[in-house]
Amino acid sequence: MIEAQGLTKRYGDRTAVDGISFSVHPGRVTGFLGPNGAGKSTTMRMLLGLDRPTAGTVTVNGRSYADFPAPLRQVGALLEARALHPGRSARDHLRWMAASNGLAVRRVDEVLDMVGLTDVAGQRVGRFSLGMGQRLGIAVALLGDPPVVVLDEPVNGLDPEGIRWVRTLTRRLAAEGRTVFLSSHLMSEMALTADHLVVIGRGRILADCSMADFIAQHAASYVRVASPQRGEVADLLRSQGLDVAVHGDELRVQGLDAAAVGELVGRSGLLLHELTLVRSSLEDAFMTLTATSVEYSARQQTPAGAPR
Amino acid sequence: MIDTVALDPHRNVPGVRRPGFTHTLHAEWIKFWSVRSTAWSIVALVVLGAGLTVLVCATSADDLADGSAGEAAGSFITWGMTIAQITAIVLGSLVVTGEYGTGMIRATLTATPHRARVLAAKALVLTGTLFVVGTVTAVLGYLGGNWFLEQEGIGLGLGDDGVLRALLGSGLYMAGIGLFAAAVGLLVRHTAAALSIVLALILVLGNMVVLLPGAWGEWATKLMPGNAGGAVATPVSFNPNLLDPWVGFGVFCAELAAVGLIGYLVFRRRDA
Repeated sequence: MIEAQGLTKRYGDRTAVDGISFSVHPGRVTGFLGPNGAGKSTTMRMLLGLDRPTAGTVTVNGRSYADFPAPLRQVGALLEARALHPGRSARDHLRWMAASNGLAVRRVDEVLDMVGLTDVAGQRVGRFSLGMGQRLGIAVALLGDPPVVVLDEPVNGLDPEGIRWVRTLTRRLAAEGRTVFLSSHLMSEMALTADHLVVIGRGRILADCSMADFIAQHAASYVRVASPQRGEVADLLRSQGLDVAVHGDELRVQGLDAAAVGELVGRSGLLLHELTLVRSSLEDAFMTLTATSVEYSARQQTPAGAPR
Repeated sequence: MIDTVALDPHRNVPGVRRPGFTHTLHAEWIKFWSVRSTAWSIVALVVLGAGLTVLVCATSADDLADGSAGEAAGSFITWGMTIAQITAIVLGSLVVTGEYGTGMIRATLTATPHRARVLAAKALVLTGTLFVVGTVTAVLGYLGGNWFLEQEGIGLGLGDDGVLRALLGSGLYMAGIGLFAAAVGLLVRHTAAALSIVLALILVLGNMVVLLPGAWGEWATKLMPGNAGGAVATPVSFNPNLLDPWVGFGVFCAELAAVGLIGYLVFRRRDA
């Protein structure tokens, strides 16, 4: 369990994380979502004791990260930027980490095998592809068999097979009863992996709820209707108090499911060519919610040199 | 609330539950030896330190013997160490700045959040290695260089004034100057910057402050870290106006402690 209480980080006069409170529970995958610069990585660095909070606390199972005698046994972390020396072999990197926390050397071979790097363990990591580097980062996170796993952008640079592997792995870690805290920019991937979401924007928590609730609240699904008698159908549905929007040739109806819309139109003898329930995606919901808190928006260009 | 499976409390990665300083030390030892720059620096230290000593003794032995050099043989018997210190500075700096340049420092501090412990382990690995390698190098240089001096009848015995002290002092000074570079590296977090600062301080400024007027120049020369600390590494200094070897080394240790303390205080507070 990870708990943040009034967690704040200021750099000079810029507030990166603004008094956030949230908790991440065991047994499920909690996704950490937010636009670039929203404060995700800063929050994760404070969680790992790398950055000192300006105010507030963040604890893992009730203790500060720095208070664990063998932190790798408590929290496994994959950091976004590669925290590796390019001249060291993968095996040596894991060896020193294992040594620092008093873990047996054979655990190194176990995790190398788990992430599929056994054959290249002796190679210098500078020669690794992005995907191999990510696998090594995941090996580091699993080294101490920790009850809490924090993964910052774990699928970055992975091929489709690797992405699927990370998804299966994170789901399995959560199913084993571990606390899994995961950030990713890939919405479709997050939608498949996470059960719960913490959404951050401009250093504040915008949402902390289940995946299903989040989508339902922030991007409603609708029924797509196509008809040669579009105008009449729209009038009919509106007369029933439904919300109807016209998009080109189609109508988007909210407030009823597809079957009910079909029956309503059928009873009045109008023709239908298409009737589809369109479920909104996590991406839609995320875009709706964060539209106002994107730091670098393509549309609102700040002049060069202007203060952010 | 979802039903959660409790994580098996009996799952166990073999090893100790409460690792201590020896584990941090072991980790730093593995880190130190698993990058190529360490081996290269040490080979360079031995080759330069012993090789140049032998070379200057071989080429100067006759001038030293007939007095035309105007210097004591004792000034030459560990001469290579004055050049070899550059490799100790490079190694010391890289031990710290190498971690900042690559982002490794974040892995180091997630593994061992106790920052003082990390620094102590790094310092011990670095100084221990440099002391041993520095002493061995000085002994090798002495054995090789003294062979040429003996040919001219001006060989130095281990029991001669300052010789044994200079051999051990070479190891001490290599350890000290490497640690000094590491401390500066901790402050500037950048390899090129750390090297420039330390090399300029030791090799350039150390020889230029004598240009300051009067007693200022005299004392600045005595107190510059390379001059104060380096005297212990040679039986006879070229410069007769330096502090006594052990007094100088004490001053050097005090300077080292000051820079090290500032480095630690900054490191403790700074975000990684």
